[in-house]
Amino acid sequence: MTEETPSPNPADAPVDPLYTHPASPFLQTEVPTPVAFPPPPNPTPPAAIYSTWVLYRTQIEFGLAILAYLMVLVGSIVVVQANPDAGWRYYVVVLPVAPAAFVIWLFMRALARLDELQKRVQMQAFGFSLGTTALVTFGYGFLEGAGLPHLNWTYVLPLMAVLWALGTAIISWRYR
Amino acid sequence: MKNRLRVLRAELDWSQADLAERLGVSRQTVNAIETGKYDPSLPLAFSLARTFKRRIEEIFESEASRA
Repeated sequence: MTEETPSPNPADAPVDPLYTHPASPFLQTEVPTPVAFPPPPNPTPPAAIYSTWVLYRTQIEFGLAILAYLMVLVGSIVVVQANPDAGWRYYVVVLPVAPAAFVIWLFMRALARLDELQKRVQMQAFGFSLGTTALVTFGYGFLEGAGLPHLNWTYVLPLMAVLWALGTAIISWRYR
Repeated sequence: MKNRLRVLRAELDWSQADLAERLGVSRQTVNAIETGKYDPSLPLAFSLARTFKRRIEEIFESEASRA
């Protein structure tokens, strides 16, 4: 069976029943004009490249200040041990207080630069550290009364520092 | 407090770090606000509204407004 050639008469062209059937619910409409979308927003500018000093300024300042403290501390100890009977040895042994005071000043400045959430985290961490240190030291005081050996009071500050770091980690994790 | 911060940020293709830099806060703060674990202070809320050019009520949804 061969295919019949299509009739050249347009009136005989096959009619799409999709739109012409009486029961068809479809309406043939014009092709809509393309919508002119607004141009894309300006691309995000590339991230600024900061130097190491800008990104880690606080850590570098702290590191240099602590390094200065250690150098002055070691130097004062060496000098005083070499001159155990010198009258000026009292002035030399307190020299490390100067860089230590600078470390504290840097610490206070870093606290002031924290944003509101970081200040809240640090406040709660300090509270946790202070309360837990009080608890531990009071508890050990009672144990000392019961016979345990006496501990030097210089252990208190490292204990407080460790608890402060632990508190910061725990409270920061809650806001992750 | 529920908010549309993540959606608004995505519309502008900003990362949390980008938004934090514009607001002058840490990335942790932006993340805590987006996840609803931290409600910003009033100055920070106004700063967010200015950054996104929206009203505060369009960004944050309080419990009272949903009632």
